[in-house]
Amino acid sequence: MTETEKDFDVQGFARDINELLVLSTLRTDAKHGYQIALDVETESNGLFRFKHGTLYPILHRLEEEGLLRGSWSKESGRRRKVYALTGSGRRHLSGETSRVEEIVSRLMQVLQRPGEAPA
Amino acid sequence: MTASGARLFLPTLRAVEQDLPVPLGERTRILRELEFDLEGLQSQLMDEGLPAAAARERAMEVLVPGPVVLRELGRLHASPYRRATRHLNDDRLRLMERSVLALATASVLGVQTLALLSAGLLHDSSPFLWPVLGLGALLFAMMLARTFEQCVERDHRRPARSLSGLLGLSGVIVAAASGGVILDLYRVAGVLERAPERASTLMVQWVIRDCALLSVALLLALAGVLTWLVLTQWRALVADAHEAVLGLDRHN
Repeated sequence: MTETEKDFDVQGFARDINELLVLSTLRTDAKHGYQIALDVETESNGLFRFKHGTLYPILHRLEEEGLLRGSWSKESGRRRKVYALTGSGRRHLSGETSRVEEIVSRLMQVLQRPGEAPA
Repeated sequence: MTASGARLFLPTLRAVEQDLPVPLGERTRILRELEFDLEGLQSQLMDEGLPAAAARERAMEVLVPGPVVLRELGRLHASPYRRATRHLNDDRLRLMERSVLALATASVLGVQTLALLSAGLLHDSSPFLWPVLGLGALLFAMMLARTFEQCVERDHRRPARSLSGLLGLSGVIVAAASGGVILDLYRVAGVLERAPERASTLMVQWVIRDCALLSVALLLALAGVLTWLVLTQWRALVADAHEAVLGLDRHN
């Protein structure tokens, strides 16, 4: 049994995708929460959108797990939070991207089985 | 903040605050982050050509947490104590906390008595020493409970006046000891009237006995007042930051 098979959980997969989307937008530089939400939407051509604040539990969980580093800065007398990818976040992103690729490839194998395509 | 300096999302922040079940300090940080993001997203959407009202609506749709997200944030930001005791039901947890509190109070009373015994202060002590020690144990229980709520449970919802009990009880202890000293003096004076030849012995005994009583009372009161001071200042710092985020700055 491969790692992918051992860990695969359909419900958790959606959550993992959201986490990966957040991590991937931070690959190049640190960003504020709203920029992350906007970039995920823009880069996926509107396919993935955060709604009703679902972004925050993801950001805070990733920060707690040490995959993101949140830091506060003070500009114009007000405090604002910026998120950056950590070293372990970068490694996690790379490993999880391969896992998602494998899952999607296996899904496509099933969906594209010759002679059994839906009418 | 918007260019005009108006904080357009304050009503939204206040509504979110009502349903955000996390410790006050965390709540302040979440609301601060949310406000900045709402303003940033609205401004970016307006730069992309969306009218202000539509940009505001869209920013709120994306970022303002719904009930499910608020519960999730509550789970994520619960104090370590709350997380550790999550599997216990509320009644059981309260019972456990009260038992630990009673045990700690009894232990302190025991240690306090042993320390006084070993210092020889209980031998021929003032009769008022025992009520003062009892009140001291009560004060200790109160100190422990308030410190636990604020530092371990990180529950700042309890009204600030609950801390005033520490100050009040410290005052009661000093008042009880002072009253004891005066009554002891009357008692000694009564004995002196009947046996003036014992004056020097009785006065020395009174000074030793009642100095011990006053010292114990002042030490207990000092502990109570210091605890009150630290907890009040800490609470004020956290509450001020929170109220400033919600535009409820009480100093203005």
